Amino acid sequence: MRLLLIEDDELLGGGLCDFLRTDGHAVEWARRLGDVEAYRDEPFDAYLLDWQLPDGSGLDWLRARRKSGDVTPVLMLTARDLLQDRLRGLDSGADDYMVKPFAPEEMAARVRAICRRSGGSAGAHIRVGEVDVDLVARCAWLGDERIELTSREWSVLEALVLRPGRIVTKSELERLVLGFESELASNAIEVHVSSLRKKLGRELVETVRGMGYRVSTAS
Amino acid sequence: MRPSPSSSIGGRLARSLVLWSVLWCAALGAAIWVIVREEVEELLDDTLQSAAEGLIGPLANSLTESVAPSTVAPASAPTGRFTWQLVSYQGGAHLVSSARGAPAAPLHDTPKPGFSDVPGWRVYGQATGRDAQTVYVAQSTEERVEAGTEIALAALFAGAPMTLLAVLWLRSRIRRELQPLRELSDRLSRYDPMQPGATLGAAEREELRPVHAAIDALAGRLTRRIAHERAFTSHAAHALRTPLAGIDAQLAVALREAEASHRPRLQRVRTAAERLQRVVAALLAMFRSGAEVQRSEIDVAALAARLPIEGLAIDAGGTMPLNADPDLVTAAVLNLIDNAQRHGARSVTFSTPGANVLRVHDDGPGVDPGRRRELRAAIDAQDYAGRTGLGLMLADLVARAHGGDLSLPDSANGFAVELNLGPGEA
Repeated sequence: MRLLLIEDDELLGGGLCDFLRTDGHAVEWARRLGDVEAYRDEPFDAYLLDWQLPDGSGLDWLRARRKSGDVTPVLMLTARDLLQDRLRGLDSGADDYMVKPFAPEEMAARVRAICRRSGGSAGAHIRVGEVDVDLVARCAWLGDERIELTSREWSVLEALVLRPGRIVTKSELERLVLGFESELASNAIEVHVSSLRKKLGRELVETVRGMGYRVSTAS
Repeated sequence: MRPSPSSSIGGRLARSLVLWSVLWCAALGAAIWVIVREEVEELLDDTLQSAAEGLIGPLANSLTESVAPSTVAPASAPTGRFTWQLVSYQGGAHLVSSARGAPAAPLHDTPKPGFSDVPGWRVYGQATGRDAQTVYVAQSTEERVEAGTEIALAALFAGAPMTLLAVLWLRSRIRRELQPLRELSDRLSRYDPMQPGATLGAAEREELRPVHAAIDALAGRLTRRIAHERAFTSHAAHALRTPLAGIDAQLAVALREAEASHRPRLQRVRTAAERLQRVVAALLAMFRSGAEVQRSEIDVAALAARLPIEGLAIDAGGTMPLNADPDLVTAAVLNLIDNAQRHGARSVTFSTPGANVLRVHDDGPGVDPGRRRELRAAIDAQDYAGRTGLGLMLADLVARAHGGDLSLPDSANGFAVELNLGPGEA
């Protein structure tokens, strides 16, 4: 998943970035709301948003994003623990709310959960034809056989199954999987999609000519 | 002398009023008695004098007509307790004439004009101007006392109902005058200075204006103080929670990246960091325990399942829901079971022995009865410093914030704490 972390604390931001990256996620880190402007047109699977930032309120930023039609899942990460704060956060458009301090493992699980729900799946498993995708174990099963995937292959598969039935353009997929590294390897996505098809079957990922890729999940 | 806690202004005023009314009645009665006695005496004396002057003429005429003096009785001569004597002092005092029922001996052995007293009688004497004779008119003392008493009692009986009416009217007036105090009390019970635009309202009596002003000033000071504390708590929360989260995130990454031989040490550091997080959360909750309690229904079993405690079995089966602030209760319970774990407990049982009462009972070594008494005394006095740990202090503050209290029931094994979370919301 490609995540945008908006957090001003160096210790926490650095720790979360490293933790999520070791989980295989592409993480961009904005230390101020002003820095977020650099990612305005970038696709993300989720925003991890602090409330109190040096140049403004994360909650106001969230309200503005929701007003502009941005439906990207948001996990609020804040020290504000009062009930009315949590209610304000959730009512302002956050999909989930975590009070600092928290275990990064729990935060990662909540990120997965809000992204799953955003993709229309409540459970940890998503079925794509004969393939069972386990979003928690980060692996795929073809029948009874566990198929080992590289980190990048998994990221491509995850990005597609979290957008079931939707055409994901190549450039969007590149940025979701590779982040800003996508500019360095323009054919990387084709390579990973091809690899996925070899391991999980050609019918797993549909190529919509001239537009992008699509997977159709089964309920 | 300090007034008793239950004494009321109305009661005290009423008691004073009754006491002063009784004293007033007594003083008034005495004054009436003295005045009436003086006036009646004067009046009766005037009557005696007039009677004596009225008797002299008829007596003189009757004696001139050689009528036996002892049988002479003027037409206007009084009888009974009002009598007269005509005494001659030629060759000693002897009775010339007298009314029926008058004393047989002369009232005076020597001529005594004017007013005088002899035993049982008030006497007025006047010389007739003939043969050294003096006429005495007398009234019995008993009659005079009776007359004075009757008049005084009549005055008192006439004044008493007026006094009673005045007492009743004054009591009613006192109640009406104290009504603004009762209304002030009602207003204060509804007054929440933290609400925007909240005011106590105008004083209904001039004397209550300083009270209103003092309360408004106090409310202002409290509001500012609470606002400062909230701001401090918010800043402290941010300043403490964020670095703690950062430490945990860094340790989590380090655990993943470290060689296997370094992981146990890192894990111990992370466990200590987690405990530090709980302590900080408890301290922040403690600041909040003076703030408004946000009650909602708490499923104790669900709360127990969410507690981030490892290595301790928690049994919350069969518990009833609580109506309390979930954050405060979680902070209190978390610290209680953290205490239990640090004191060697392997399991903790949650139970709800009463309405909105949560009991936390561990299987640790517990404390001896003397130590339990010390802890109870510290909690009752809210004197925690050096006498209780953070867990009990926080639990007590949380219970008190809910309008309840903390108790340490006796237990045959382990250590038990009961949080009475006050009457829940209907």
